[in-house]
Amino acid sequence: MFPRIILNRIFKNVTIIPRYNSTAAKPLEHSDNNEVILKAKSSPLDHPDYFQVHSLFNVKDLFDARVHFGHKEGSLNELMAPYLYGSRQGHLIFDLDVTAEHLRRALNFTAHIAYRGGIICFFNRNALNAHIVEKTALECGEYAHTRFWKGGIFTNANHQFGAITRLPDLCIFLNTQNNILNQHTAVRDCAKMLIPSIGIVDTNCNPNLITYPVPGNDDTPVAVELYCKLFKGAIQRGKEARLKFLQEAEEQGTFA
Amino acid sequence: MPVSKYFSSSLHSVYNKNARQYSSSHKNTTNAHDINDQFTDWETLNKKKSISKPMKAYLERAREHDDFMKKQQIEYNIGKRHLTNMMGEDPETFTQRDVDRAIEYLFPSGIYDPAARPLMKPPEEVFPARKAAEFDEAGRPHHFLFYTGKPNFFQLLFDAAEHLENLHKFEDKVLRNKAIPEQKSKLDLSSGVWVSKDQLEIMLVETISDLEYDNFKLVMERLVSTPYSYRCIDFIEKFRKPLASQKFALEIPKPSFDEEGRAYITTYECLRKKARGDVTIHSPGTGKIIINGKDITYFEDIQSREQVIFPLIFTGLQNRVDVECNIEGGGPSGQAGAIRWGIAWGLRSFVDKSMLESMQVAGLLTRDHRRRERKKPGQPGARKKPTWKRR
Repeated sequence: MFPRIILNRIFKNVTIIPRYNSTAAKPLEHSDNNEVILKAKSSPLDHPDYFQVHSLFNVKDLFDARVHFGHKEGSLNELMAPYLYGSRQGHLIFDLDVTAEHLRRALNFTAHIAYRGGIICFFNRNALNAHIVEKTALECGEYAHTRFWKGGIFTNANHQFGAITRLPDLCIFLNTQNNILNQHTAVRDCAKMLIPSIGIVDTNCNPNLITYPVPGNDDTPVAVELYCKLFKGAIQRGKEARLKFLQEAEEQGTFA
Repeated sequence: MPVSKYFSSSLHSVYNKNARQYSSSHKNTTNAHDINDQFTDWETLNKKKSISKPMKAYLERAREHDDFMKKQQIEYNIGKRHLTNMMGEDPETFTQRDVDRAIEYLFPSGIYDPAARPLMKPPEEVFPARKAAEFDEAGRPHHFLFYTGKPNFFQLLFDAAEHLENLHKFEDKVLRNKAIPEQKSKLDLSSGVWVSKDQLEIMLVETISDLEYDNFKLVMERLVSTPYSYRCIDFIEKFRKPLASQKFALEIPKPSFDEEGRAYITTYECLRKKARGDVTIHSPGTGKIIINGKDITYFEDIQSREQVIFPLIFTGLQNRVDVECNIEGGGPSGQAGAIRWGIAWGLRSFVDKSMLESMQVAGLLTRDHRRRERKKPGQPGARKKPTWKRR
């Protein structure tokens, strides 16, 4: 059991908790300054939310999709403590405000990668949700790997595929665990190969090696459906913008 | 940055600004520096559309393979020409069938397994098909499951799951509408089996493990057992193959007609033990049985006579057909057994399908391949040993 004293101390004020050894990208403080958003920028990267991904969902959607449910107290990975709101009847509850912030950052990054024609690969080792993940990948023209992970797909790719192979530019983990005990090997391999990763991390997962951890429930099909919908939306926005940009560039003859 | 060298420049700025400061000494090598800040997509910026590394490597391999196949084809043609000369035949009309015949004649082989005998086939039959390029010029794979390593196999599982989901949805819809379930909702698949692992591998152009093949069968069985599975019969049928014996049983010869207008059919090579002969059945008839010019009393013992008339009694045709047979070799039981099988085999043309099935079940259509077992040295018979005495 998680000591009650520590729990109380942790959950009193979420923001002051140091994020220990996490290598994760720190979410930006949300800016309500409309002028900044409305100001037209030359580069999409200068814009805090160029693809308007914040409009894809709100906290109520997360709550309805049961994203706030964590695992039991005893299974808590201490690195996940900063993302928690508290515990109810022995079950940990995520702070959805924190989750929303992280998820928006992740969606923004996804949209930017899609905008630049990057390869995005979805991962999930939960058989219950595997089909919807693969379907999402198919629908947004990206890639999925929901099967047994053969070691060396990233780290020894040229041998595995029998040819020089372009690896994904972003890996999205809809759950980061193989089973309740082991982390997905691809999380480690992504970090090794400097492939940025987004991961839905539950209370029993380690967020350390994930570039954009999103604290949230990774088991419930409704929640996974919501994530799939959101990432699909972000990718589509990125791709639409890309198509528009390419068409404009073609018309202007920039590359002539 | 070992991620993907040819692409890293494009994402370079994203990583830096959005994620974290990757230490990278990579120089931006794109030629349109003026718009780099706006859009640094390597593949888009390069007007020349220079080919990605994976594609280049693939093209190289494809060229090597083509050269190899061309060489093999030339060698095959030369070999064929030599064979034609040796056999003294016309090279214009010398087909693959003639090649097989010539090889069999020139290199006689008693090896049991036909696959191990000498052969000469066109190179495209000998060397397995290879997958075409799996990615486009930018290095993006074509298949959405490419990174699993077995995209075609997992696509198959994905399709099966998709069909399952659709069937469940349809079933829910029927239940909601309180409709009466359709009668043909059960799928009858008794006439075939799932394709074997080897065949599946050839279909998918991928090697699969035993476990994966079991998974394939499991998911297909589940799909079949779902109500309304007939709705995806096309998908299921792709992975079924008809049973060979069933197919064989369907090839029942049509009877010929003699000058009197009676249907008759002759079964040659009726074998049992050392007996061999042929059986002719005439229909309609009066139940006459002629064996080597004699009637049923050709056999002296009752058991052999019973053997001969058993298929006639079983099918209820004992007074409606005439049987004529020539039999030689072996003893009475062997001859009777050979005739019994010949009559049953010939009667297939005169009975309906349900009777055919019951004949099959009764074992009338099964050949008995047992032969006399040889006597062993040191003992009086095939199995019989000398009387055992302790001392």
